[in-house]
Amino acid sequence: MSNPWIAVGALGLVSVLVPLGMMAASALIRPTVPEQGKTAVYESGEVPTGNTRIRFNIQYYMVALLFVIFDIETVLIFPWTVIYRDAVSQVGLTKALVPMLVFIGVLVVGLVWAWRNGAVRWVQPTTSDRRQTET
Amino acid sequence: MNWGLLQEGNNSSNASAGAANGSANASAAGGGEVQTLPDTLGSLLGLGQMGPLETFAMAVIASGAVATFLLTLVAVSGIWGKRKITAAFTDRIAVNRIGPFGLLIIVADAVRLLSKELVIPDGVDRPAFDIAPVIMVSSALLGFAVIPMGNGIQIADPETGLAYVFAVSSIASLGLVTAGYASNNKFSFLGGLRAVAQNIAYEIPLVVTAASVVIFAGSLQMSTIVEQQAQTLVTLGGLDIPSWYAFVNPFAFVLFMAANLAEVGRNPFDVPEAPTEIVAGWQTEYSSVYFVLCYLSEFIHIFLGGAIIATIFLGGPAGPVLPGFLWFVIKILAVYLFTQWARSAVPRVRIDQLIEIGWKGMLVLSFANLLLTAIIVGVIA
Repeated sequence: MSNPWIAVGALGLVSVLVPLGMMAASALIRPTVPEQGKTAVYESGEVPTGNTRIRFNIQYYMVALLFVIFDIETVLIFPWTVIYRDAVSQVGLTKALVPMLVFIGVLVVGLVWAWRNGAVRWVQPTTSDRRQTET
Repeated sequence: MNWGLLQEGNNSSNASAGAANGSANASAAGGGEVQTLPDTLGSLLGLGQMGPLETFAMAVIASGAVATFLLTLVAVSGIWGKRKITAAFTDRIAVNRIGPFGLLIIVADAVRLLSKELVIPDGVDRPAFDIAPVIMVSSALLGFAVIPMGNGIQIADPETGLAYVFAVSSIASLGLVTAGYASNNKFSFLGGLRAVAQNIAYEIPLVVTAASVVIFAGSLQMSTIVEQQAQTLVTLGGLDIPSWYAFVNPFAFVLFMAANLAEVGRNPFDVPEAPTEIVAGWQTEYSSVYFVLCYLSEFIHIFLGGAIIATIFLGGPAGPVLPGFLWFVIKILAVYLFTQWARSAVPRVRIDQLIEIGWKGMLVLSFANLLLTAIIVGVIA
């Protein structure tokens, strides 16, 4: 049995060559009609205003920060799940389970804190920013 | 102590996998290890003991075969099947003009899409705009490296297969945000942001639910996970029900199906595209072959999600009568049909609802599932 990652690398090569090959095939058969006007970015038919580097909702940043924490947590959970069955048979249920309960518990406290602070609640514009629709 | 345990766990799981494998497939040349497709090709060509270069060459051939199979599947289901299924749900006829059942529309549409002019909009971030579709397609294809497709079709079988497949499939988020940012379009930008917020919100429930399966299987190796599911769970009226993890832990299965719908961005979680809100989301500015690649990557992702579900919940390629490979195709097509069903039948959630369902609902449920599984397995074992 050879190193499996050689085969994974081969699939990596193929999976880049497939889209590149499709691009090459398309380049051979597609027309090019350069013309101003059709290269304008799509903004529902209007003349585009401003650029795209706009301010966006802070929510996306909060969620990304939370994700980093929980992603690292899942990395640490995976080795535990692999050895869990053998660990239970060797050192008993409490010694195998309780440390992980404590670890997840600490993170759940963090999630509750973020939850109560509104990190996972969608940020609403303040009332002064809202446009009045009624009189 | 932990390292010793880890070592012990690996040894015992390898030994059990080897034993089961040896009895099931006595002719395997690997001697206790699973014979992968590159090995089979090498022994068919009489290469004997293969060096790295020969292995690489054989693996390129095997990967080409797997990629071709996937592209065919996407062509049939994405161009023809999708229209037929949606039409059946909405009581229409759909494509029926070219060829039997309109099947030749696949060829016509492929040529039509590839021969469209490629319009590069003003002010796009040029290398990033071109690279994004390639990232999306290759990340989806890469995940299939470790999927056992039955009849010995598996490109590689590393010990960390399950972790690898999640790691690779989440590279697609990078492609989505690149596409959204590089397009210089406000709809694309919002779509890219939504896509990444959605993918990271549902990534954790997905992986944690898969971890609850690993507690049962005791290994991250795909072949071992499939091997473990071959045991009989109960016998009902003379029929042996295998211990597929969908039967052993149906709650985890439902959670995983829902999180997978969000990962592949299908209804009710298709907010990154949301045609009625932000035109086409991150792919608004893509045309011609770039659009084909975006479309292709979405369907390959659906099939990758289906392949993961089939492998860790539905016993991989196992099934009665028919050969394993056919069962594998049936299972991933069933998951595909489910996504199309949801697409026709379920309304879309709003972006704020999506974030709340992800972080307040799915995350808590998936951790509850993990802990309950751990306690139940610990009490039984």
